[in-house]
Amino acid sequence: MSEKYCVITFDTVQQSLVFEKHLIENEIAVKLMPVPRQLSSSCGTAAYVDCKDKEKIQSLCKESSILFDEFHELYQDKKNMWFLNHLKK
Amino acid sequence: MNSKKKMFMYGGVIGLAAAILMKFGNPGNMGMCIACFWRDIAGALGLHRAAVVQYIRPEIIGIVFGAFIVSYLTGDFKTRGGSSPLTRFILGFFLMIGALVFLGCPLRMIIRLANGDLNALVALAGYIVGIFIGVQFLKKGYTLGKNYEQAKIAGFLFPIFALVLLIFLVIKPAFILFSTEGPGSMGAPVILSLILGGVVGVALQRSRICTAGGIRDMILIKDSHFLWGILGIFAFTLIGNLILNFEKINIGFVGQPIGHNDFLFNFLGMALVGLCSVLLGGCPIRQTILASQGDTDAGVTVFGLIVGAAFAHNFGMAASGNGVPTNGKIGVIIGIVFVLIIAYSVVADQKNKATKKSKEVSANV
Repeated sequence: MSEKYCVITFDTVQQSLVFEKHLIENEIAVKLMPVPRQLSSSCGTAAYVDCKDKEKIQSLCKESSILFDEFHELYQDKKNMWFLNHLKK
Repeated sequence: MNSKKKMFMYGGVIGLAAAILMKFGNPGNMGMCIACFWRDIAGALGLHRAAVVQYIRPEIIGIVFGAFIVSYLTGDFKTRGGSSPLTRFILGFFLMIGALVFLGCPLRMIIRLANGDLNALVALAGYIVGIFIGVQFLKKGYTLGKNYEQAKIAGFLFPIFALVLLIFLVIKPAFILFSTEGPGSMGAPVILSLILGGVVGVALQRSRICTAGGIRDMILIKDSHFLWGILGIFAFTLIGNLILNFEKINIGFVGQPIGHNDFLFNFLGMALVGLCSVLLGGCPIRQTILASQGDTDAGVTVFGLIVGAAFAHNFGMAASGNGVPTNGKIGVIIGIVFVLIIAYSVVADQKNKATKKSKEVSANV
């Protein structure tokens, strides 16, 4: 069975660094990572967070004007097009 | 297969392609070199008159088509731009000055190392130092700003440019220059170069391998994901050379093909490349792939690389096997100083904006 995990993407690397700093200051678990391939073809950084912290993170970002692109809830997905599956491996 | 193994294998595809292209006629340790290949194209278009480095490299056309087609099929093709294009152009320009003083982009640096050229080790140290300095600016708030969606046609302009280059390569009009001697006259058969370029373009687009990104992530977020791609390029170029180009392996500092052993400027040249790459968000390979998948800022950066290559030769800055000319040394030093000023100014500007914003917030409270 596929497992759910949450990743936040940013428009710039600098936004991810600001985000990480604020979450650490507020004792919310965060780990920066390369953007997962299924989310983007960019080679920038994303933040891995606990899905349970979603609301806390969203309100903190709103209060402190911290910018991010999107909050993603990810599962493993499978495509039926065999050739594209092969390319994505 | 876990993600690191995948990255290693993708890197391996690029490394093997480089070894095969060298076997079939590309210049020494130049199975793949994005900076050299764009420089050759600049020469073929007549933007510089260095007669020994003029050729429309089919590998570049293959890389652009490979990345464009696969990104279009998989939905990765997105036309975006507007993130400080002129700054990117200038950073691309100086990146190329640094690369042509070392004589290679970061990809060729890995390929040179895999064939025993120890000057590349000195260059690698410079590249890491350049990236480390760039990362310090990122930590202090450096950014070129976000990009925005643009009219779709803008994303197709770069692949169209590659198509025009292909037409020039095939019909060879009189105004396109082709070297008759030197590195520009050496190349694997066009069809092989196009096909392997295409394969490399697909591998690079799918994997997102970036030599600067790999080292940047190790320093910034302690993550080795992209670094495995670089290790794959090194390992498979080495294996490919042991099998295909064994007689050309030469471990040492002297007598290396299209390379010199000026330690200081191998170091400083690649430090400039590393610094520019981090500030741009990607090395020359990555910029070429991004430009192929609709990123118009990366397209502007590549044109900065091309113009940088033209100036490097027109102003006598490009190095050769004989060493680095004085103009090249001056160019690299000016480049480092100028790029540091750009980075510092961006950071200072970001700080001013942040201070202004916090003052506005406290005034509203």
